[in-house]
Amino acid sequence: MIRGRNADRLLIVTTLGLVAAGAVMVYSTSFIVAMKKFGDEYFFVKKHLGFVLAGMVLFIVFSRIHYRLYRRLAYPILALAIVLLALIFVPGIGHKVGGARRWLALGGVTFQPSEFAKLAVIIFLAYSLEAKKDVIKTFSPGFLPHVVVPGAVIALIMAEPDFGTAVTLTMLVYIMSFTAGVRLRYLLGLAVMMMPALYMVVSNFGYMMQRIAAFLDPWKDPGGAGFQIIQSLLAFGSGGIWGTGLGEGRQKLFYLPEAHTDFIFSVIGEELGLIGVGIIISLYVGFLVSGTMIALRTKDLFGKYLALGLTLMVSLQALINMAVVMGILPPKGLPLPFVSYGGTSLVVSMIAVGIILNICIKGNEA
Amino acid sequence: MKKNTDGWLKFRIVLVLVVLVSFYGVVFFRAFHLQVIEGKALEQRARLQHQRTVKIPSRRGRVFDRNLEELAVSIEVDSVYAQPNRIEDSSKVSSALAPLLAVDRRVLRRRLASSKKRHFIWLKRQVDLGSEQRELIRTLGGVDTVKESRRFYPHRSLAANLIGFTGIDSDGLEGVELYYDKYLRGSTMTVKAEKDATGKLLLFEDVEDGVRGMDVVLTIDRTIQYIAEKALRKAVAEHGAKGGTVVVMEPHTGEILAMANAPTYDPNDIRSFRPHQWRNRAVTDMFEPGSILKVFLLAAVLEEGILDPNDIFFCENGKYRVADAVFHDTKKFGWLSVYNIIKHSSNIGAVKIGERLGKRSFYRYLKAFGFGEKTGVDLPGESAGSLRHYTRWSDVALGTISFGQGISATSLQLVGAISAIANGGFLMKPRVVKYIRNSDGVVVEEFTPVILRRVLSEDTSREVARVLTSVTAPGGTGELASLDGGFKVAGKTGTAQKPDPERKGYAPGKYVSSFIGFVPAEEPRLSILVTLDEPQGSFAGGLVAAPVFKEIAKESLAYLGVFPEGSSPEGPPSGRVVEARLSNKASVRHGTAVDHPERIPDFRGKTIRSVLRIAGERSLEVDIRGSGRAVSQSPSPGGPIPEKGGVTVVFQ
Repeated sequence: MIRGRNADRLLIVTTLGLVAAGAVMVYSTSFIVAMKKFGDEYFFVKKHLGFVLAGMVLFIVFSRIHYRLYRRLAYPILALAIVLLALIFVPGIGHKVGGARRWLALGGVTFQPSEFAKLAVIIFLAYSLEAKKDVIKTFSPGFLPHVVVPGAVIALIMAEPDFGTAVTLTMLVYIMSFTAGVRLRYLLGLAVMMMPALYMVVSNFGYMMQRIAAFLDPWKDPGGAGFQIIQSLLAFGSGGIWGTGLGEGRQKLFYLPEAHTDFIFSVIGEELGLIGVGIIISLYVGFLVSGTMIALRTKDLFGKYLALGLTLMVSLQALINMAVVMGILPPKGLPLPFVSYGGTSLVVSMIAVGIILNICIKGNEA
Repeated sequence: MKKNTDGWLKFRIVLVLVVLVSFYGVVFFRAFHLQVIEGKALEQRARLQHQRTVKIPSRRGRVFDRNLEELAVSIEVDSVYAQPNRIEDSSKVSSALAPLLAVDRRVLRRRLASSKKRHFIWLKRQVDLGSEQRELIRTLGGVDTVKESRRFYPHRSLAANLIGFTGIDSDGLEGVELYYDKYLRGSTMTVKAEKDATGKLLLFEDVEDGVRGMDVVLTIDRTIQYIAEKALRKAVAEHGAKGGTVVVMEPHTGEILAMANAPTYDPNDIRSFRPHQWRNRAVTDMFEPGSILKVFLLAAVLEEGILDPNDIFFCENGKYRVADAVFHDTKKFGWLSVYNIIKHSSNIGAVKIGERLGKRSFYRYLKAFGFGEKTGVDLPGESAGSLRHYTRWSDVALGTISFGQGISATSLQLVGAISAIANGGFLMKPRVVKYIRNSDGVVVEEFTPVILRRVLSEDTSREVARVLTSVTAPGGTGELASLDGGFKVAGKTGTAQKPDPERKGYAPGKYVSSFIGFVPAEEPRLSILVTLDEPQGSFAGGLVAAPVFKEIAKESLAYLGVFPEGSSPEGPPSGRVVEARLSNKASVRHGTAVDHPERIPDFRGKTIRSVLRIAGERSLEVDIRGSGRAVSQSPSPGGPIPEKGGVTVVFQ
């Protein structure tokens, strides 16, 4: 078993492994598009490596900041996250891409507030679940704040709309609350009550219905809504066990939309085959196991919840992304953590690892 | 209690871990299922959508006149298409496109809206766009341009009825364009190509370099064609004729130098014209030739030795009864020699000559001259004319056929027949194409003169020619065809009644006026037939057609540099077909040194693919160095092919 300092070593190794695989795959998936659009095959890779560098620096910085600091700052951080999310809706600051406002343009840098909001909600939950550990079984202080506060953030994220992040965050809230001991019947009751509301929301967003319909039967309209999923499945099928070889994939040639972001795993499937898919999944499992081990080992309850939450943040997103590209879940529009091209997601994931590492080091000092 | 809570917390965390790890397991199992179990089927499907066999229609070959003047060329134009299913904002796209394509914005938007689900529609074909405009269109998304080739006829209506035209997909629809379509079109190149989802072809070389269609070089001489058309147009207008044809043939080779039609059309704009204007009447339309047929009656009796030009006949003072019919002459003639029967075009004289010749013999000669069957010319829609078998000729029919009624022929047949007299007795196959060359200028197929049969002896043909010169001599019916300045013209006028298609018999007042002949009579260079369909006012062939003949003959001879009576600087070709054929062949082969099949071709500027193709055609060894376009070669083009080793071609 992984014990003591082995856990943090595994955490770092799996993280770096995924980041390295990501950089290679971003190049492999994007060089043709980059060549065609910008006349520079390294266009996306250069930018991606910039984010990797920034992520590394922040990883080191955050691994040296004592995590207990966030406990004190839980509310300010939450407030900041909500303000940032609200700013998206301010014309001129909010940046609209493809029908969704998900980005803030701040001094030439675009930034996804929902990524930061995930951190904020996790910090809040860790703080609040620890603070209410003795009354956790109650309805009012034990259950209600842990769904209402994140619920408000999730509602804002839904409004962007960013369904993928909202779903990830909802699952995160549920799992963290469940782990901390919130009564299951409250959680399940809420879920049942939310069903009609969820249906309303989904049916209001035409694109979601389309995506779901396409998910249920992608082959029905292969040129239309089912296009992405079918192309993704074809990519996996083409890869076979050994893959077509790095850079040799055909599906990324405009068949797979956003091959270097949301559908990078399909290209891994095509170019590196089942072997590559297995390696990437193993790295994520390694990451999940090491993060959970650190959480288990941590005596400090805030640190325990925070480590678990951050680990789950990455793991859930990875799971959902993979499930989507393989047609197990309907499309969401989530990047694959560490691997996909995508600035904020990569940087925030690296920060999360930095914090987990700090918890691993400092968590048992108190 | 505390211990217990901690235990449950640990349990729940481990539970979450186990559940998530098993989810990863599910994901991996799904990957295994997709990649191993369903892998083959999915891979097959993926391959289907990537690989397209792309058919590249080759650029259509050109049509040249005999001096390599371009008569039909293909120019590259842009065609604009849309992929409506990829267009996001169709009203924006149509507003941007409308001014570029000169199409109404609303029309475009309606077209895009009505085919929203389609993957491909043409928006406008064959427009002239600049490169910035093309770029602009490309940026709109969902719309793009492709290069298409459009046929262009630089001389507009010149030889239009002969050359024909093509459809919008550059497929030959009429004339030479149709008959030689498979050469002009060339081979369609099929290439396997990678395709991305936007429909763009990738990883694909030589897109623009499809195998070009071959060039067709006509026997037509642009200048003579122009002379013929101009003279015909003038006469048709002057006499208010319904139509007309002129065919000019080189009598020794059967090569058509000009084939003019009226009415005509502009092949650059076929939609403004109707089929009767496209038709190549000289080949497709048959008519009763009238007195010009007497030439062949004369040839037959002279060849048979039945008569001598000086033998005389009594022409019955203009009225001659055969069975239940009465034949008339336009003038009352008494005794006329055969010579004068032709000179004055006496029908009664012709009838009597015909009686002497007999049905069977006359029929045999008409057949030999090519009447009643297709000439086999390399043009579509040829008509065979009509010549009944002699066993079905009545005595009256023998009489009418003797002066060219009750038989029909095409202009082309008649010119072929007169050429047999002009060239010493050989019926030549009429041809409009001299040779075909590939896009690199190498002659791939050459059409040499074809002798169909010998019809007359050389002596007889000289004798017929001598008699025919009387027609254009003073007092002859074709005097207006005579040339000043020493040339003798052998010819015959014709004024034929037109059969009435509704009633039996002939339509009153409707004539085909014609003149057929060759110049110079002693050393013929040109056989010419002029026909005018339904001239108004004066209608005698000698009055309306003979002057047209004269104009064409005079200007064409001047253009060809033929001078009367031995003053010619380069002796005209002798009457021997064999020699004509040899000189003809030589002139084709020595076009340019580089085109010579026994010389090294010029590979420079070509792609590897086309170099290999050319080398393959010549069984030449080539050593390919590098890739891209050929920049240099050793040995240099035009030199003799080395006995050992091949040609080294360097590409960059």
